[in-house]
Amino acid sequence: MVGEDKPFPTRAALAIGSLVTLVVLLAALPWLLSDYGLSFMVSVMSYLVLTVAWALFSGPTRLVSLATSAFFGVGMYTVAMLIKLMPLYATFAVALGVGALLAGVVGVLTLRIAGMFFVIFGFGLSEMIRQLMVWWEINKTHTMGRYVFVPFDATLIYEHLLGLAVIVFFVGWQLRRARLGLALMVIGEDETVARQVGVNVPFAKVAIFVVSAMFMTMTGALMAPRYGFINPNFAFNPLVSFQVVIMAFLGGLQRLWGPALGVIPLIILSELLQTEFPFWFSVLLGIVFMVIVYFLPRGVTGLIEDGWKALGRPLELQRGLTGPLVDAWGWMSRPIILPRGIAGAIEDVWVKIAPQTKGRR
Amino acid sequence: MAALLEAEGLSKAFGGLVAVNGVSLSVSPGEVLGLIGPNGSGKTTLLNLIAGTTRPDAGAIRMDGEDVTRLPNHLRVRRRINRTFQLVRMPANLSAIETVMAGVLYGAGERVPFKEAGYVAAGLLGELNLLLKADRRLDQLTYIEQKRVELARALATRPSVLLLDEWLSGLGASELDGGMSVVWSLAARGIAVVLVEHVMTAVRALCGRVMVMNAGAKIAEGPPEEVLRNAEVIRAYLGDEDA
Ligand SMILES: Nc1ncnc2c1ncn2[C@@H]1O[C@H](COP(=O)(O)OP(=O)(O)O)[C@@H](O)[C@H]1O
Ligand SMILES: [Mg+2]
Repeated sequence: MVGEDKPFPTRAALAIGSLVTLVVLLAALPWLLSDYGLSFMVSVMSYLVLTVAWALFSGPTRLVSLATSAFFGVGMYTVAMLIKLMPLYATFAVALGVGALLAGVVGVLTLRIAGMFFVIFGFGLSEMIRQLMVWWEINKTHTMGRYVFVPFDATLIYEHLLGLAVIVFFVGWQLRRARLGLALMVIGEDETVARQVGVNVPFAKVAIFVVSAMFMTMTGALMAPRYGFINPNFAFNPLVSFQVVIMAFLGGLQRLWGPALGVIPLIILSELLQTEFPFWFSVLLGIVFMVIVYFLPRGVTGLIEDGWKALGRPLELQRGLTGPLVDAWGWMSRPIILPRGIAGAIEDVWVKIAPQTKGRR
Repeated sequence: MAALLEAEGLSKAFGGLVAVNGVSLSVSPGEVLGLIGPNGSGKTTLLNLIAGTTRPDAGAIRMDGEDVTRLPNHLRVRRRINRTFQLVRMPANLSAIETVMAGVLYGAGERVPFKEAGYVAAGLLGELNLLLKADRRLDQLTYIEQKRVELARALATRPSVLLLDEWLSGLGASELDGGMSVVWSLAARGIAVVLVEHVMTAVRALCGRVMVMNAGAKIAEGPPEEVLRNAEVIRAYLGDEDA
C-alpha cells in the first residue's frame, strides 16, 4: 500500500484500541463470572504474570530459572508475617523490597556461573528458604503458620493481578526497544560479542533477573490474602517453578505474548490431574514436563511439524526411561533454543491468511 | 607522535604452552602497526590480551596514559579499545543493524539515545557499503559482508585503538583493494590500527612499522621493507613451508 494519507485507524491506533478493549473486558470479568470462574481467572492471571516475568529473564538469557517459587514464596510469606504489624499495601512494598534484594544477591552469586549450577541453585534456593522458615517458625516464633484475614477479596486480587499483568507486558514491550533489551539479546547469542560492544554482562543479567523476580514476588504478595492460612510449605511450593517453565515452553518463547498462551491449557490440565489423581499429581506433572522438554524442544509448532515426519520412523526407546531424565537435565543446563510454541503455530496460520505481512524474524 | 596504546612485557601461558612471551608494543594515533608471524605464533593471543578478552599472566597495558591492565573487556571498550575477531563473531539471530546498534548504545563517550542509535548504525553500515544489507542476519550475508559488519560493530563503539585480526584475509584481489582502502581511511581519521595479517602486499602498502612474532616472542620490529628482508623472519616463515 502506498496511499498518500494514512487510513484513519492506523495500525498502532488499532492495536492500542483492541488492547485497551481487551483489558477493559478482562477487568469486567469478576462481575460476569461465577465464584468458580473468578477463582479460575485469579489462577490464570497469577500464572500469566509469573510466566511472562519468567520469560523476561529466561527468554533473552536462555537460562532456565527454577527460582520462581522462591520469589513467589518470599512475596506471599512476607505479607503473611507482617500483616498484623502494618497495612496491607505496606506489606506489599516490603515484600517487593525483600524480593528485589534477594534476587540481587542471588543474581550476583550465581549468574556468573551458568549452566547446571544455576538450575540447581534456583531449585535449591526455594527449598532452602522453605526449610529455613519452617525452622524459624517452629523454634523462634512457635507458630505453625500465619493467618491472613484482610478485606481483600478475590475480585480485588484479580484486578490487582490484571494491573500487574499490564505492567509486565508493558515492561517486556519497552525492553524490546531499549538499550538493556538489545544488550540482553546479544548476551543470549554470544557473550563475547556482548562484552566487545561494551556491555557489562553480569550487570545486565542481574538487572533483568531482579526485574523478573520483582514481578514474581509481587504476584506471591497479592495471592497471600487469597488463602486464610499460610505456612512455609504452602508458600514455597516447588511445583510453581516447574509449572511456569512448562507454560512458557508450551506457549512459545519467541514472542512476548507467547508464554501467555501456555497458561490456560496447563492450568486446566493441572486442575484435572489434581482432582482426578491428587496423589500422583507431582509425578504426572513431572512427566508432562519431561515430555515437553524431551519431545517438544521447539514447542507445539515443532510437534506438529515433526509429528508428520516421525510417523514414518520407528520410535527410539532403547535407553528406557532414564534417557529422557538424563537428557532433560542436560538440556536444562544448556542455553535453551527458544521454542515457537502455540504463538508460533498462530503466526504460521496468520502468514497463510495474510501473506503480505512479513514476520520480522 | 606520542604512543596512544603501550603494552609492556605481556605474557600468557596456556598450561605449559607459552603463547605470548614478554611482548611489548606501542601504537600512535593514525599509525598502522603490522603484526605478522607464522600460525600459532601468538598474534591472536596478544590481541586478546590487549582487548581484555584474556587476562595476561604478566605485563602492563596503558591506554592514553591510564593503566588498563586490570580492566575487564567491556570497560576497555569504553576506554576506546576495540577489535575484530579472526573468526567472525556476529550474533546469529540479530540483524546487522541491531548488532551495530548495540555497539553505538554501549560504546565509549556520550550516551546515544536509543532512537538515534539506529541512524548512527545505519550511517556506519553505509560507510562500509552495507546499507542495503542492514536488516540481514549472519546467514544472509557473504563472508566479506560479515567481516564488514564486524568492523562496523567495532567502529560503532568509537574506538581510537582498533585491533584487526586477519581482517583482510580471504578477500579476492578486487576486494583486497577495497579492504585496504578501508583500513587506510581508519588510520587517516586518526585511529591507531594494529593489523594482524598474512597478506604481505597489504602489510607493505599500509604499515609504517611491522612487528614479527615467532613462538610467542617478538623477533623483529621496524619498517616493513627492512623487516621483511630480515633473515630470521624469512626463516620463521619459510621454515614452516620448506621443512
Ligand atoms: N584458549 C587457549 N587455550 C589453549 N591454548 C591456546 C588458546 N589460545 C591459543 N592457544 C595456543 O596458543 C598458541 C598461539 O595461538 P594464537 O595466538 O592463536 O596464534 P596466531 O594467532 O599467531 O595464529 C597456539 O599454540 C594456540 O594453540
Ligand atoms: Mg590468529
